[in-house]
Amino acid sequence: MSAVIEINNVSKQYPKTEELSLNDISFEITQGTKIGIFGPNGAGKTTLISILCGIIRQSSGEIIYYKENEPSVLKSVLPKIGYVPQDFSFFPELSPYQNLMYFGALYGIQKSELKTKINQLLSVLGLSHVIHKKVGKFSGGMKRRVNLAIGIINNPDILFLDEPTVGVDVQSKNAIMTYLEELNSNGTTIIYTSHHMNEGQEFCNQILLIDKGTLIAMDSLEHLLSVHNESSLEALFLKLTGIEYRD
Amino acid sequence: MGKLLASIKKEFLILINDKVGLLLMYLMPILLVFIITLVQDSTFKLVNENTIEIVVVNNDEGNLGDTLISLLKSSGSFGISEQNNIEPSKIQQNLLNDDHLLAIEIPASFTQNLNDKANGISSSMLQEFGLGEDSITQAVQNVSPLSLYYDPVLQESFRFSIVSSIYSYLSALENRLMIENLYTQMGFDEIPDAMEQQFFDNRIAINQISANTSTGDVIPNSTQHNVPAWSIFAMFFMVISLGGNIVKERISGSFIRLQTIPASFSLVLISKMFMYLFVALTQLTVIFLLGKFVFPLIGLPSLSLPGNILGLIVISVLSALSAISFAMLVGTYAKTQEQASGFGAITVIILAAIGGIWVPTFVMPYYLQQIGKISPMHWCLEGYYALFLKGGDWYLLTPTLIFLILFILACQVLIYVKLKIQNYI
Repeated sequence: MSAVIEINNVSKQYPKTEELSLNDISFEITQGTKIGIFGPNGAGKTTLISILCGIIRQSSGEIIYYKENEPSVLKSVLPKIGYVPQDFSFFPELSPYQNLMYFGALYGIQKSELKTKINQLLSVLGLSHVIHKKVGKFSGGMKRRVNLAIGIINNPDILFLDEPTVGVDVQSKNAIMTYLEELNSNGTTIIYTSHHMNEGQEFCNQILLIDKGTLIAMDSLEHLLSVHNESSLEALFLKLTGIEYRD
Repeated sequence: MGKLLASIKKEFLILINDKVGLLLMYLMPILLVFIITLVQDSTFKLVNENTIEIVVVNNDEGNLGDTLISLLKSSGSFGISEQNNIEPSKIQQNLLNDDHLLAIEIPASFTQNLNDKANGISSSMLQEFGLGEDSITQAVQNVSPLSLYYDPVLQESFRFSIVSSIYSYLSALENRLMIENLYTQMGFDEIPDAMEQQFFDNRIAINQISANTSTGDVIPNSTQHNVPAWSIFAMFFMVISLGGNIVKERISGSFIRLQTIPASFSLVLISKMFMYLFVALTQLTVIFLLGKFVFPLIGLPSLSLPGNILGLIVISVLSALSAISFAMLVGTYAKTQEQASGFGAITVIILAAIGGIWVPTFVMPYYLQQIGKISPMHWCLEGYYALFLKGGDWYLLTPTLIFLILFILACQVLIYVKLKIQNYI
């Protein structure tokens, strides 16, 4: 499998802080992977994902996209990237249809193609019956699904998800994870963060653990569990990051 | 182009979905213009219209009190309401209770005093010429004064102009009496009618010419001031809506999502500017149409549109862009919606106050007039004054154009710097 993203010695220090939020991190993400980034609060997960999809810039280090084909800078690969932030990043005054039409148009998708895609997406995510209702009046689970739909409207090759199932009911979580599996089976590389260890254990085939801005482990789940002699991701997580509070 | 149209459509949909906000954006300025124009109309009428209503209490035992009243009436400047045999305290009470702002009390000895004074002066003149005897001075010193009662709300300058006007008629009256006395003391029966009339009619005329480059004669009135003034205020008050909108999108994360999409961020800003420019110009059009066609129906002066329509469009677009740029600047730098709306609203009110929206700057102290020049609203208003009251030649509009363009550029640069720091651009 070829590397879709190569991260070389990336560090991040926010202004007016002394500590590094990310400290000299290097790793590769190969095509078709479902990689889960885990770590305690403040470990640097969101910072890492924000750098990878261009929301913030690293203080030092280099990120190369599609190295083995035509190495690219982020700007040129943005059409191939999807991003589902932890916050609801849409317009609550508008309907799912209007939101998706807007974001789809920004990707340059043709109107007719966009309409078909929207209907298809909303149907799969169980939102067809509220296609023209204001998103602001939706339940938390429905909003999460709208958030996801916007992030994948462009059929992304690489999809970043920051806590995509936080605060949703079991049904919505199931719908989201099932659809993510389907996307991955069609070739989409998924980079995902979550605090739900069981969900991560079931979904991801690669695990990346970071703590205090430093990469402490990265491998397949099976290999990590075997090396550290643990039976679950949660036990492994506690073993490597400790039990003390991180507030 | 498709991306820009999609962005504009999104802004439009958000705008029309906010029914309350939309209503406020259009209804608030309309109400403001109506109410403030109605309130100020009587004041402007007081200054602009010819007739000033005055109560006259004539206690004169002779006939010169009546003569003075008829002179005031015939001047066309005063509407006289005679209320005789009233105590001074009652005059003040009546003034406070009714619509009149001024009252004149003519003393009982008015005729006697004027005659004595005229007689004294004419005798003195004849003596100087070597034609009369020494007899005068005592009577001249004991003239009872006229009393002018005024409502405390009346501006001092306006009161002085009334007093000056009354003085000029008193003077004419005194002169006539003096000449009559001269004629009598020199042995003539009476002053010729033609000469008597000349005392009142033969004054040198003063042509009053407004410093206006247009051929039409536009009189400053409450409508000409309030319609553009409150339209400007309404445009700048968009800071609450647009500033809040930007903060909201920034906080909600839609701005962050835009960073991961292959679309220029300036597209978002341009679409917002375009949408709110449309709002501002429709606000302006609605208010101007109301001023032109609805105001006369409720007894207010009709808005006279300037001849330089291109100038009107340019000033309106620049005023709207200034308001939008200011709102975007506040929205970009504010951390919360509360900050944007609180700071924005207070700043707009202060800029309106020092910019001459509420009261014209020429009535303010000199230092405040100079401070007022930092307000974009001052320059917007100057532009409209140049158009509506001074004929609207381009050279009169130039200072406004320069300031507003610089203001817009300064705001846009500051917005760019902030967004660049935040990695949005």
